Amino acid sequence: MTTTSDPPNELYSSLSPGVRQELGKFAQATTVAQGGKLVRHGVRPEQLIILNSGKVEITVPAEGKTLTLGTAGPGKVFALRAIVAGEASEVEVTALEKCSLTVLPAEEFLNVLRRNPEMYLAVVKVLSGDLKKADSFLRQKARNVPLASGSRSRRS
Amino acid sequence: MAYNFPIIEDCLRCTFREQRVFCDLPREALVKLQSIKATSVYPKGAMLCLEGQSPRGIYVLCTGKAKISTTSSEGKSIILRIAEPGEVLGLTAALSNTPYEATVETLEQTQANFISHPDFLRFIQEYPEVSMKVAKQLTHNCQCAYAEIRSLGLSNSVPEKIAKLLLSWAEHPLKYTGPQKKSQEIAIRVTLTQEEIAQFVGTSRETVSRVLGDFRKKGWVQIKGATWSITNKRALENLVTT
Repeated sequence: MTTTSDPPNELYSSLSPGVRQELGKFAQATTVAQGGKLVRHGVRPEQLIILNSGKVEITVPAEGKTLTLGTAGPGKVFALRAIVAGEASEVEVTALEKCSLTVLPAEEFLNVLRRNPEMYLAVVKVLSGDLKKADSFLRQKARNVPLASGSRSRRS
Repeated sequence: MAYNFPIIEDCLRCTFREQRVFCDLPREALVKLQSIKATSVYPKGAMLCLEGQSPRGIYVLCTGKAKISTTSSEGKSIILRIAEPGEVLGLTAALSNTPYEATVETLEQTQANFISHPDFLRFIQEYPEVSMKVAKQLTHNCQCAYAEIRSLGLSNSVPEKIAKLLLSWAEHPLKYTGPQKKSQEIAIRVTLTQEEIAQFVGTSRETVSRVLGDFRKKGWVQIKGATWSITNKRALENLVTT
């Protein structure tokens, strides 16, 4: 169960105290060692993950290569997109150091979401942040690599 | 008729509503949407959003297509993707109250519904169904962005990239009304110029022209103005490694 001493996170900051309390009933605290996976690419996540302390790396695997989207610290929420869409995760999240987490079973989270549709506003804010990060990565790649002639790719 | 499509001003009567993620709303929310949106028809080349501009609001693309682009370090335009009807444009900027991160320019005559920034924020706060639709749109957009990121990790050649683009367009073929055609032929309407295709795949216009010429010679595509026919889809698929 989460307590008032838990650090703020990007999802809970937009939720009402009642919904936070409801979610808190299913929340569990856990830790992941350095190098451990919080979210695995290609796997449907079973838990929503809130990073309370530590630092993680977010990557997108592509045919043997790994593209790093960036790092994240306390307050970041993971696996929300995959849970809401009912799909496998597109990204992989790896602990760069020992991390403490709050985890919520995906099914319980979705049940609370169904009972409290006003939660979608908070979901939208988190997803929008994730999309912004992905789009920013794409724009950065596109801007940095000069337009090429012939077969060389600008985006590779 | 001044426009090549019927203008739908009443969202409650729109026949496309159920096919569009954002617009398929309960009646009460639709009535509200109808009262806060402004419908406009734009010519080809109209700028809906400008990169760096404060978010004035969002656009729901009703008819037509728009290119979403940014500028390279060399000052050249780079097309990030093409927005299709039903898409909501300017979402992340409006939700985070930060400047538009890309420029949105219409590729053809386009109808779009504009909702001002304050009205949009009130709309999603008052109607959970709307924020649910926005969440759906964002999960889709995230999925597309991650797919694009994955493709960055692959060293595709320009012919592969153009083949991939043609195959993605082939997913939305033109409804064929002419004489009997070969069963494997797929007709598509191409709104991008060769220069814009070059901006999309990251090469020069000359290379696009050469690659398309090669595809034509091999009998994989036929090009007649804006109507193209994919005559050998299998060959294009074989070229694409992903």
